[in-house]
Amino acid sequence: MEVQQIKYERTGGFAGLRLSADFKPDELPEDQTRPLLDLLDDLDFDELPEQLTAESSMSDQFTYKITVKTSKWEHTVVTGDASAPDKLQELLQMLDRIAKRRKN
Amino acid sequence: MHKHSPVNCIVPPHMLKNIATKGTEGQKNLAISTLKSSAQMRGQRQALADFSAAAFRVAVVGGKERIIYDARNGSSLPGTIVRREGEPVSADVGVNEAYDGSGVTYDLYQNVYQRNSIDANGMRLDSTVHYQRGYDNAFWNGEQMVYGDGDEDQPVSDRLFNRFTIAIDVIGHELTHGVTQFEARLTYALQPGALNESMSDVFGSLVKQYSLNQTAAQADWIIGAGLLTSNVNGVGIRSMKAPGTAYDDPVLGKDPQPAHMRDYVTTVSDNGGVHINSGIPNHAFYVTAMELGGSAWEKAGKIWYVTLKDKLQSNSNFQNCANLTYQVAGELYGAGSIEQQAVKKGWEAVGLATDGGGTPPPPPSDGCLGSLLRLLGAAPSRSN
Repeated sequence: MEVQQIKYERTGGFAGLRLSADFKPDELPEDQTRPLLDLLDDLDFDELPEQLTAESSMSDQFTYKITVKTSKWEHTVVTGDASAPDKLQELLQMLDRIAKRRKN
Repeated sequence: MHKHSPVNCIVPPHMLKNIATKGTEGQKNLAISTLKSSAQMRGQRQALADFSAAAFRVAVVGGKERIIYDARNGSSLPGTIVRREGEPVSADVGVNEAYDGSGVTYDLYQNVYQRNSIDANGMRLDSTVHYQRGYDNAFWNGEQMVYGDGDEDQPVSDRLFNRFTIAIDVIGHELTHGVTQFEARLTYALQPGALNESMSDVFGSLVKQYSLNQTAAQADWIIGAGLLTSNVNGVGIRSMKAPGTAYDDPVLGKDPQPAHMRDYVTTVSDNGGVHINSGIPNHAFYVTAMELGGSAWEKAGKIWYVTLKDKLQSNSNFQNCANLTYQVAGELYGAGSIEQQAVKKGWEAVGLATDGGGTPPPPPSDGCLGSLLRLLGAAPSRSN
């Protein structure tokens, strides 16, 4: 699976601030690329439900929107802090760090 | 990717709920854990709400009962117990801030509004600190408070946020989400969601003022003062005195809050701008409190509290809140009283009359989110 593009958007939270990143994996330092691609593979990202959110949003939690595009498919998942399974939490934290580094 | 417990596979949810409320201590814990994990996987945390009062309100006691947990930078909640009610001060400043802040919040609700904890029935106040790494947020998950440490994983020169327990109003804000959950149950989207946020800011600010024994005139009316690092050009996250002026920074951007209905922001982001448009009811409360003077928690706070407890409904909008706070002020202090006039001035300052007129909310143009919420009866209606 060759990942061509990743889009990450985080909205909401106590401060209501938006954080986002839109990048190709090969734009990242090597030490970030491999763990990210491994995690996407491990998650079977394209098989995750498109909506992994609570019926009613929990107060002040972040809402995350992740889109991964490969040569074969494009898939978007929307989730929140309390509704994301553990493995997906790992991905969210990784993308969050990448987005912050690219912003600064 | 996710392993289900055997219980999860064979025991239906209604049975688990029975076990969670009636089983032995060990059975309760297992059932609750299973329900939580299965609900998480289905994205149906709300399914827990109906029985959460019975299952999660672990200790119904006579007075204040706090437990502080440490997530040790992980995501599992609640984490490891690090301080219980009455135990000595911890070496961890975040632990003490969560303990003290939830204590003052309990005191405000108990001493001023005669409310025994979040659920009005002695619910234990659980808080988790050190949630994840680099988690610049705090939230109420329907059962407890959760606090991140800000941008502690970033180089000092890049950090924007300090730990979220640093501001006592943040703690009061999160606990008030719990009060709202047990009272008006304001839907967390669009105007009901912005009212939900505003109620948390109002009582968060009152917790701070109560802890410092400040009058309305002495208070800074800033939400999250101390939360932003010195790298940011800003005094906090929101200003109730002057919404839209809390920060203006090259990295963070500019505070987007409106102070008046004419500047209402229509957006699908942030659940329809719940942290943005809360500036409008926030400012109405500020003006009311300043009109009345003295301790804001006594009269303005009382009017807002009774409105939250007895009047607002899950789909209430700003106009409803204006009308109802005006009505409550009349009931508490008399028709035409200075208190009722202060409420009227507060809402007029943001473009809302208290007789149901005034500048109406803008017509919903929030696309799918608004349509869906209207269908569910959760969004503001087109007429009042």
